[in-house]
Amino acid sequence: MMLEVKNLEKTYTKGALSRTPTFSLSADFKIEGPGIVGMMGPNGSGKTTLFELITGSNNPTSGRVLVQGKDIHKVRTDQRDRLAIHYHQSYQVRHFRSLKPNVMLDDAGSDYPMVHLFDEPQFNTQDGYIGFMLDFFRKLRAEGRLVFLCVHPNEQFHLEILKEICERFIFVQTGTVTTHDSYDGLIQKEEVRTYLGKLLLEEETV
Amino acid sequence: MAFFEARNIHKRFGSSVVLEKIDLDFEQGQISGIMGPNGAGKTTCFNVLTGRYAPNRGTMTFEGRDITGLSPQRIARMGISRSFQIMNLFDDSAVIENIMIALPEFRDMRSNMIRPVFRDKMLEAEAMEILSQVGLQDVAWEPSKSLSYGQRRALEIGVALAAKPRIVFLDEPTQGLGAEATRQLSTLIKQLRERYTIVLIEHDMRFLFELADKISVIHWGQVIAEGTPSELQSNSWVQRSALGEIA
Repeated sequence: MMLEVKNLEKTYTKGALSRTPTFSLSADFKIEGPGIVGMMGPNGSGKTTLFELITGSNNPTSGRVLVQGKDIHKVRTDQRDRLAIHYHQSYQVRHFRSLKPNVMLDDAGSDYPMVHLFDEPQFNTQDGYIGFMLDFFRKLRAEGRLVFLCVHPNEQFHLEILKEICERFIFVQTGTVTTHDSYDGLIQKEEVRTYLGKLLLEEETV
Repeated sequence: MAFFEARNIHKRFGSSVVLEKIDLDFEQGQISGIMGPNGAGKTTCFNVLTGRYAPNRGTMTFEGRDITGLSPQRIARMGISRSFQIMNLFDDSAVIENIMIALPEFRDMRSNMIRPVFRDKMLEAEAMEILSQVGLQDVAWEPSKSLSYGQRRALEIGVALAAKPRIVFLDEPTQGLGAEATRQLSTLIKQLRERYTIVLIEHDMRFLFELADKISVIHWGQVIAEGTPSELQSNSWVQRSALGEIA
């Protein structure tokens, strides 16, 4: 099993005493093998939080994330990126914290990341890089890796990219994570149609 | 085996991976290009290839010899020369003196203080030959500070060539140049191709696509694509972009 997100919950609270929840994310899904997964959802819906939980740079309130069978939150902090790596736009992101010292944690057992999470790469139709990036995602997949591509579509070609390259989809809205096996299945959901709004209408008239 | 080879290069700074599993091949007599967006790891890659930083993992070979982890001085003495993104010139010295200082013979003569090196005819002739390669022979005795920005860039390349390199790495040579100066630089590099093996690290894709025999695209610290310009241009997304229009 490539990735298992098991009963994962993350709740942010405010106030030291009353602890009023301000945002809560829950996810439960698994992905068996290599693939390219498209992820979308409104700003503030929890996409980046989900990526941080998968890479182990953010600790869950409850639940577990297993990458290649290893509990990411029990892997040495300096080796977590050998299992799952988070690229925010063009930079790699990592701020790992663990209360346990690394000597008490597990080895990653890998020297190249298994899961690659691309958080809103800067796509620009003028510079040609889209083509190179998509080929790179395909290469990673061919080498047995799992790729997540998070896009917040605000232009028609963003949907084209997702449709061209992704085999399955994750939609995140107000902390709720749903998985979809095809693009057509995804865009039939009412909440997805509302989210994409006029981009979908444009697509259907093309 | 390629003339210059990098295999499985990995470079970390603290907790960040800057280069991941980089493989590069540069063939003798060719212009190889490395391109990528800002922050992709191009300059770190350049600094690892030219010995300024040792990689955490991986190997580099030049003409079949392992050069991994050698000091920049030893790497330079093996015939690997580089330019700098920030120009390093002696502004008050004459153009030709900047070249003379960079000649290996100058280094050998420096200990001999009795001989006035700047009047050495052999050194002068050699420096003049390099200046003519970069098109600066007519301004040889002008102070460097009087040069235009494009001429300074040519002089900087001349300084890299003075070391008599077998391979020259140029870091973003078009940076700060206008359209006309970029065009002249392109002509200059085409001429140098006859004599040197060149690696160009560039942000300006149009410039690179016109010059390079082979291009490696770096993003997220990794080689995400590589091929000849026409191979890279065959991608349908590239066709749709401004790069698709370059003949």
